[in-house]
Amino acid sequence: MMGFLAPWFLAGLAGLGIPVFVHLLRKHITVPRPVSSLMFFERGTQSSTKHHRLRYLLLFALRFALLLLVVLAFANPFVRRSAANANGRPLMIVLDNSFSMRAGTRFADAKREALALLAAKPHSQRAQVIALGGQVQVLTQPITDAEQLRVALDGVQVGDGYGSYGELGKAVRALSETEAGPIDLHLFSDMQRSAMPASFADAVFPQTVELTLHNVAKTAPSPNWTVESVNAPADLTDTKDTSKSRVQAVVAGMGTDETVKTVSLMVNGKEVAKRSVKVPANGRATVEFAPLNVGYGFNRCEVRVNGGDVLPADDASFFVVRRLDPQHVLFVHNARDERSPLYFGAALNAASHGAFVVQAVAADQATDIDPKKFAFTVLSDAATLPSIFEHSLEQYVASGGDVLIAAGVETGRRGEVPLWGGEHVKPRNVTASVGQVDFTYPALEQTEPGRDNGGWAAARFFYIVPVDTSLARVVARLSDGTPLLLERQMGEGRVLLLASGLENLTNDLPLHPVFVAFVDKASRYLAGGEELSGAKTVDSFVQLRSSAETQGRTASAEVVDPDGRRPLSLSEGRTARTFRLTRAGFYQIRFANGRSGEIGVNADRRESDLTPMSAEMQGLWTGSHGGQNAAEKKQVLGTNDRRMGLWWYVMLLALAVAVAETALSSRYLGVQREEV
Amino acid sequence: MQRLLDPAVLASISSLDLIAKTVVDGFVSGLHRSPDFGFSQEFAEYRPYTQGDDLRHVDWNLFARTERCYLKRYEGETNSQLMILLDASNSMQFGSRQPAKADYARYLAASLFYMAVRNQRDAAGVIVFDDEVRDYVKPSTRQGQLARLFASLERAEPHARTDFAKPLTHFQSLLHRRGIVIVISDFYETPEAIVRAVEPLRFHGNDVVLFHVLDPQELRPQMKGPAVLVDLESGEKIEVVPEYVNSTYRERLQEHIDQLSMRVRAVGMEYQLLATDQPLDAVLREYLSLRRTGR
Repeated sequence: MMGFLAPWFLAGLAGLGIPVFVHLLRKHITVPRPVSSLMFFERGTQSSTKHHRLRYLLLFALRFALLLLVVLAFANPFVRRSAANANGRPLMIVLDNSFSMRAGTRFADAKREALALLAAKPHSQRAQVIALGGQVQVLTQPITDAEQLRVALDGVQVGDGYGSYGELGKAVRALSETEAGPIDLHLFSDMQRSAMPASFADAVFPQTVELTLHNVAKTAPSPNWTVESVNAPADLTDTKDTSKSRVQAVVAGMGTDETVKTVSLMVNGKEVAKRSVKVPANGRATVEFAPLNVGYGFNRCEVRVNGGDVLPADDASFFVVRRLDPQHVLFVHNARDERSPLYFGAALNAASHGAFVVQAVAADQATDIDPKKFAFTVLSDAATLPSIFEHSLEQYVASGGDVLIAAGVETGRRGEVPLWGGEHVKPRNVTASVGQVDFTYPALEQTEPGRDNGGWAAARFFYIVPVDTSLARVVARLSDGTPLLLERQMGEGRVLLLASGLENLTNDLPLHPVFVAFVDKASRYLAGGEELSGAKTVDSFVQLRSSAETQGRTASAEVVDPDGRRPLSLSEGRTARTFRLTRAGFYQIRFANGRSGEIGVNADRRESDLTPMSAEMQGLWTGSHGGQNAAEKKQVLGTNDRRMGLWWYVMLLALAVAVAETALSSRYLGVQREEV
Repeated sequence: MQRLLDPAVLASISSLDLIAKTVVDGFVSGLHRSPDFGFSQEFAEYRPYTQGDDLRHVDWNLFARTERCYLKRYEGETNSQLMILLDASNSMQFGSRQPAKADYARYLAASLFYMAVRNQRDAAGVIVFDDEVRDYVKPSTRQGQLARLFASLERAEPHARTDFAKPLTHFQSLLHRRGIVIVISDFYETPEAIVRAVEPLRFHGNDVVLFHVLDPQELRPQMKGPAVLVDLESGEKIEVVPEYVNSTYRERLQEHIDQLSMRVRAVGMEYQLLATDQPLDAVLREYLSLRRTGR
C-alpha cells in the first residue's frame, strides 16, 4: 500500500501542463535560413512537420517524467509493509504482578488473557514478555518462539511489590529505542489509580508504541481494609516504659463504609491484645497497644485487622521488636578529662531511657578491655592508647565494630588521631559555628531542620583538629568549611570522627540541646540496632556488608525469606553487599559482620487502594503518546503496517531523467545552431 | 605562402590593397620558384637598336662585349586592358564561412587589379552591378587608378537583385578597345540567359572569363533537419527537407554548372568555378595565361 507524507505537494502536478504546452500546443518557431537563391530548391512541408513531431516527442516525454518525479519526490511517497511478515510490528505483553493483583482472581484472569493473546499472535510476529511488579522485569527478548514466550509468561507469579506505570513508561521508552518500528504494547493490569505516577508525563509512552489496556478489574472496586502503618520500637529494653513500649497502628478503609473493626496484636504467632475501633467511611483510625510485653530476643509481631475483604494479604502488618538488656558503651577518655564522660553519659541516659550504659575508662587503664563486649566504643580525646588495646580496637573495627572518636586538646597536641591515621595534624584555634549539616546522615537525621540549622547553629567551636578527609564522608562542616564530623568505613566497621572535643572546653556543644539528640542518634547508629529489627517495605534493601574491599575475608551473609528458603547462593552470600526484600513477611538475616537480625517486611500500602483509574484517564493514556490525540496517533502508526520512504529513489530517478533530458535537448540545440 | 592566399586568412585583413598586395606578391614569389612558367618582365628576345628607341632598354652589357647596340624585349610588354564586371547583388552576401561570396569577389578583383596595374601596367576598370550599373571606373593607366578601383570595390556592398543584361549593355557602349573582360558573379540565372547577356562581349574581340563564385555550403549543402529557407534577393520563403537538399538539389546545381560551363566555352569564353574556401592563385594563373596567349 502506498501513500504520501506531504500530499499537498501533489498540487505541483499542475506544472505538467508546461511541457504539454511547449511541445504540443505552442507553434513551432523556426528561424529562417537565408540562401542565395531558391532557384534549385523545392518545398517539402509535410515531411518536415512529421519529422519535428517524431523527434521532439522523446524530449517531451523526458520533461514530463522529470516534472512528475520531482513533484512525487516532494510529496514524500512511502509504501506500507504488512505486519504479517517476520520483520513486522513486535508485540510487547506486560503482565502486572504487583501486590494488588492478589485481590480476587485478578492475576489469574490477567495471565489467562495474556496467554490467549500470545496464542493468537501470528507465528512470524515477534513478541516480548515483561512483568510489572516491584520492578519492571524483561523476561524475554523480542522473539518469535511461541513456546518460549508461553513458558516465560506462565512462569510469572504474583508478587508483593508496588507496580508503577511510571517505571513501566521509563522501561518501555528505553526498549523502544532499540526497536526501529512501531510496537504493540498490551498491558494486563487492574489499572490501579495509585500506580499512576504523580507526573502523567512519566507514564507516557513513545509515539511508536501503541498501547492497549486489558483491565482485569472489571467489577466495581471492592471495599478493602488494611493496617496502613505501625509505629513500634525496633529495640526495647524496658517493657514498663510506656513511652517506648507501645504499638500504634493506623487502620485504613478504602471504598468502605463506617465500620467497627477488630484489631489484634500478635507476638510470635500468639494474639496478645485485641482492640475494637470504629473506622469511618473511607477513613482511618488509630489503635494503640501498650505496654508491649515481649520476651528477650527477636519477637515477630503483627497487627492484624479482621478484614474480610478481597485482599486479605494486606490485613496484617509485620514488624520485629528486639528486647534486650541495656547495651554497654565503652567510653575511653583522657585521664585528665573528667568532663566528657559526664556530658556524654548524661546525654545518652536522657535520650535512650536506659538503653545504653556508659562505661567510662581512662585511656591508660584500657589495656585489658575487650571492645567486642560493647555495643560501640567512644574515644574521647584519647590520643595515647595502650598498644594492646589499640590493636584490639583495630581488630574490633575491622570485624564490624563501630567507634566514635572525639579529637580534643590532647589529640591536637600529639598531632595524631588514633585509628584514623593521616599526616601530622596541627590544631587551630577558631571561633566558628556549624555551617553545613547533612541531615540525611543517620547520626544527624532530622526530617525538618529548623532555621537554626537544626539547632547546630547555636554551638560555638573554639578548637578544631584538622584531619585527613581522604576516603571519608564529611557530614558536617564549620562555617569556615573545616570538616567537623566525618565517617570512614574501615573493614566492616565504621569510625565516626568529631574534629573537636566532647567536653565544653574546645566547644560549647555539650551545653546545647542538639548535643543530646546527636548522642542519641549516633549511639543508635553505631550500635547498629536500627537494621537488626523493625519493619521495612517490600523492594527495599538491607546492607549485608559494609565494604567491597573485605569481600571473601569475612563470614558469609545469609538470608532466610518468609517461606523459610535461602534466596542467596553460597557465592552470593560471600559477595553480595545488599539484598532486596521482595516478599511480605519476616526475614531472618545474618550480616557479614556476624550480627543477626530479623525484619518484618510489608507491601507498599499504595497497593491496597484498589480504586482503578478513571475511564478518561485510561483513554488519555492510550491516546497520549507525546500529547497527540488518537487520530493523530493512528496517522503516525498506521494500522498494522510499517512505512518505508521512497523519496530518495524517486529523486535518483529524477536525476537520471534530468541528465537524459539535458543531453537530448543540448543535442537538438546544437543541430539548430548548425543549421542556422 | 599558401596560407597567405587562403581566403579565410585574407578575410582578417581589413585593407583591400593590402589584401591584393599580399596575394599577388605571394603568387609572384611562388612563380619565381616555378620552373615552367614565365612572367611579364621575363626576357623574350633582342632586336637591333633603331633611332628613337628608348636608351633605357639597351643591353649595355652586350654592347660592352660586342660593341653592337641591342634592345631587350620582354613578354607582355604589350599593354592590355582589364575590365572586371563585379556582381554586387544580394545573393552575393551569402556566406556560411569567412569570407562571404561578395568579399571573396572583391579580394579576387582587387588582386587582379593589383597585378594588372602594378605588375603588368595594364589599363584596368571596373563595373559594379546588380540589376543596374551601380559604379563604373573607366579603364586607365593613370596615376591613382588602382586607388580608384579599390575605392569602387569598397563601395560595392551587395543589395538588390541581379540583372546581367543592363550592365553588360552599358559596358558595350563604353567599350572602345579590346582587352580582357572578367565577370565575377554567382550566376543564379539560367545558363542561356547568362550566355545571351555575356556573349556580345566576345564579339568585340575581348577575352571573356566568367568566374563563378559559390559558397561551399551551396556546393555541398549539409542539412540535418528540415528548415525554412529564405531567398536573399526575393525574400521568398519555402520549407525544405534534408532528403531533397542532399540529393536533388546537388544534382540540379551540378547540372547548372555543367550547362553553364559548356555553353560558355562553346562561344569561346573561359569559365572558372571558384569556391570561397579556394585560394586565389588559381585566378591569377588564369589571368596570366590569358595574357600569354597574346590575344
